[in-house]
Amino acid sequence: MHVRYFAAAAEAAGREEEVLDVDSDATVSDLGSALVARYGPVMARVVTSGSFLVDGLATRDPARRLGARVDVLPPFSGG
Amino acid sequence: MAGSANGATTMPEVFARVSADRLDRAAIEAFVLTPQDGAMVTFEGVIRDHDHGESVELLDYEAHPDAEEFLRTVCVEIAEEFGVRVAAAHRIGRLGVGDVALVASVASAHRADAFAACSALVDRIKERTPIWKRQHLATGTTEWVNL
Repeated sequence: MHVRYFAAAAEAAGREEEVLDVDSDATVSDLGSALVARYGPVMARVVTSGSFLVDGLATRDPARRLGARVDVLPPFSGG
Repeated sequence: MAGSANGATTMPEVFARVSADRLDRAAIEAFVLTPQDGAMVTFEGVIRDHDHGESVELLDYEAHPDAEEFLRTVCVEIAEEFGVRVAAAHRIGRLGVGDVALVASVASAHRADAFAACSALVDRIKERTPIWKRQHLATGTTEWVNL
């Protein structure tokens, strides 16, 4: 799975993107757990308060199935 | 907005922009204002010098590559829901105190719709547009806002 990181997520991961080896039927919840285990407490805050961009839609639904590509989005703070 | 021949509704024409350029409020207002409009409300989001009791020196804004499309979707929604003309532009990059980060403008025949639509527009931009800011505090530390 191709994962892209933005803003605080990129900072926590120390990279802007990578390919992660996760099951093809993985959910938002699965990816969130994997990211927290891999990158620690700042990523945990991103996963808890942010969202995941899947097929053009930002979702926080833990049961949402992921596709081949997902973007990790910290909570928005525009304006 | 006029319907097309097959009865489908035409998507309202809006202006949405995310860029590092200085925001051109006059151009944004010129986009929304038509001779049918008796009211125009413009909101400017301005960098302030404090947040949660700390002094703020600078903000760094970052946007997702699709942020402008998200912003456009919000503008279209507000235009349809309130029947108003809508334009919004968000600046990214490094901004200082007093710089304008967001200009959101709506025009309508009467003021009540314009006030309500502009307020909803700004709320929804903040809620739905993938843009992030990092604050540089006077103490020398930085922090991601809302994280």
